[in-house]
Amino acid sequence: MTELVTTSLTAKAGDATLVEGAELRLAPGELVALLGPNGAGKTSLLRAALGLVKPDSGNATLGGTESTRLSPMQRARQIAYLPQLRPLAWPNTVRDVVALGRFAYGAAPGRLSKEDAAAIDRAITICDLAGLSHRRTDTLSGGELARVHCARAFAAEAPLLIADEPVAALDPRHQFRVMDMVRQFVDRGGGALVVLHDIPLAARYASRLVWMKEGRIIADGPPAETLTEQRMADVYGVKARIGGLNIEIEGAI
Amino acid sequence: MNSNTLLLPVLVASTLAALFAACLLGSTPMPADRVLMAFLGTGDTADQLVIWQIRLPRALAAFLTGAALGISGAALQGLLRNPLAEPGVLGVSASASLAATFSLYYGLAAISIWVLPVAAILGALAATALIALAAIQTRSVVTLILIGVGLSSFAGAAMSLLMNLAPNPFSLSDMINWMLGSVANRSFQEVGLAIPFIASGAAILLFTRRGLSALTLGEEAASGVGLNLRNQRIWTVLGAGLATGGSVALAGAIGFVGIVAPHMIRPFTGHDPARSLIPSALLAGLILVVADIGVRLLPTSNELKLGVVAALIGAPAFVWIAMRRRTVND
Repeated sequence: MTELVTTSLTAKAGDATLVEGAELRLAPGELVALLGPNGAGKTSLLRAALGLVKPDSGNATLGGTESTRLSPMQRARQIAYLPQLRPLAWPNTVRDVVALGRFAYGAAPGRLSKEDAAAIDRAITICDLAGLSHRRTDTLSGGELARVHCARAFAAEAPLLIADEPVAALDPRHQFRVMDMVRQFVDRGGGALVVLHDIPLAARYASRLVWMKEGRIIADGPPAETLTEQRMADVYGVKARIGGLNIEIEGAI
Repeated sequence: MNSNTLLLPVLVASTLAALFAACLLGSTPMPADRVLMAFLGTGDTADQLVIWQIRLPRALAAFLTGAALGISGAALQGLLRNPLAEPGVLGVSASASLAATFSLYYGLAAISIWVLPVAAILGALAATALIALAAIQTRSVVTLILIGVGLSSFAGAAMSLLMNLAPNPFSLSDMINWMLGSVANRSFQEVGLAIPFIASGAAILLFTRRGLSALTLGEEAASGVGLNLRNQRIWTVLGAGLATGGSVALAGAIGFVGIVAPHMIRPFTGHDPARSLIPSALLAGLILVVADIGVRLLPTSNELKLGVVAALIGAPAFVWIAMRRRTVND
């Protein structure tokens, strides 16, 4: 079973400590939401955990191997990574972009094996893109484009998925659609770690919430246990009223 | 979809036709049957001389130069994710031709026939490496293009200095050839010297082209799907440097074909950088062969330089592409 595990992981940029002593675990079958205000070190934690930056101390392992020792292709076959969305450089077709998810298997948009093509078709069906597969990506709406990126991540058919703010700038309906896709991925046996800023959305979907503040993980557990009015005040500096999984944010403190 | 499968055969056929036409046409047009006989080595000896010593090597030189610039342009555009990247615009050609001029000026080129092509390639590699280094520092492609403009200007200034100090009119006219770009009077020997560099550069670019498609997603996501970014940068820079350097060694600095050809090709290849490399090389080669036929046929008192004609066509196209570009990621 492929797991992502970090042990007292610390990452710095110059003098600034971005992540300090982070203990994080992601296993198949769970949907983890990583929460924290801007600048809390969420993206830095993900990058260090994936081995995209070298940790200054501590370590991160993916499937038992230290993640900085994995080649980019080996890593990509175990964990699909959706960074914060950036515009695509060229107006490729939807199918060609989804095909890039198969890069770690030696595929290229113009050169797909049978397995590659089948995985791409499955991802396109899951993300409900069948009608759009020959459209150019520069003609898509933001919500459609977000689905294309999800499909590209699912096409890799890796056991784990990390998505950094996959629902940023999406309307409520598309936020739910994207989170539904992530949940289906977990139901099929995957493990997903999703950075979210929408706390109600996180509470509704996640099996576990990981709270970050100033580079440290300060809480990690099921929403029912870790989502409290006190924590909302500590982490986000907002006054919130919480009843079960319902959250009403009343304003800044 | 249909236009995509037809693209390569059409380009290959047009290229062969253009090369053949380049042998037919000239100051004294030669009918097709005499050209064919000269090709087979059975025709008139004067005809054979014209074809094998003058027209064919010149046409091949034009094609190879264009192909090298086309494939380099398409690859650099993929690497930098910008349709305006090109060896000429990024100052790579100018740096290569400065290094070549330098070796001529100091008589180094007399030491061995390999000195001049190697100098051009070193110049090209130095410029490409500088741009790749800058590309790591900055995310803005506009900055890169400005760096290229700076490199071009510097190379131009240094070249003017060399011309300023030129000891005699002969070396001056030699330098002008490098600066303006021309394939006049090229022999198979010069073509043969450039081929290893152009071919190895093109081979490197073709072997590593898959990564250029992944870069469509941006650098972070590309490494997420399994691309080794550092290696991709090194190989693309090396390949484009070798190919561009080889082309400059053969024909001097010729600008803008590396932009125009990939721009015309992309719609037919689904805008995929990897699939654009070979068609862009063929089209850029074709453009230069045709432009060179034009250069030879135009009844001007001094023969026009190929590089001048390429820039006259290419520079407006560059401005047009830049103006139509929606501001996306820079």
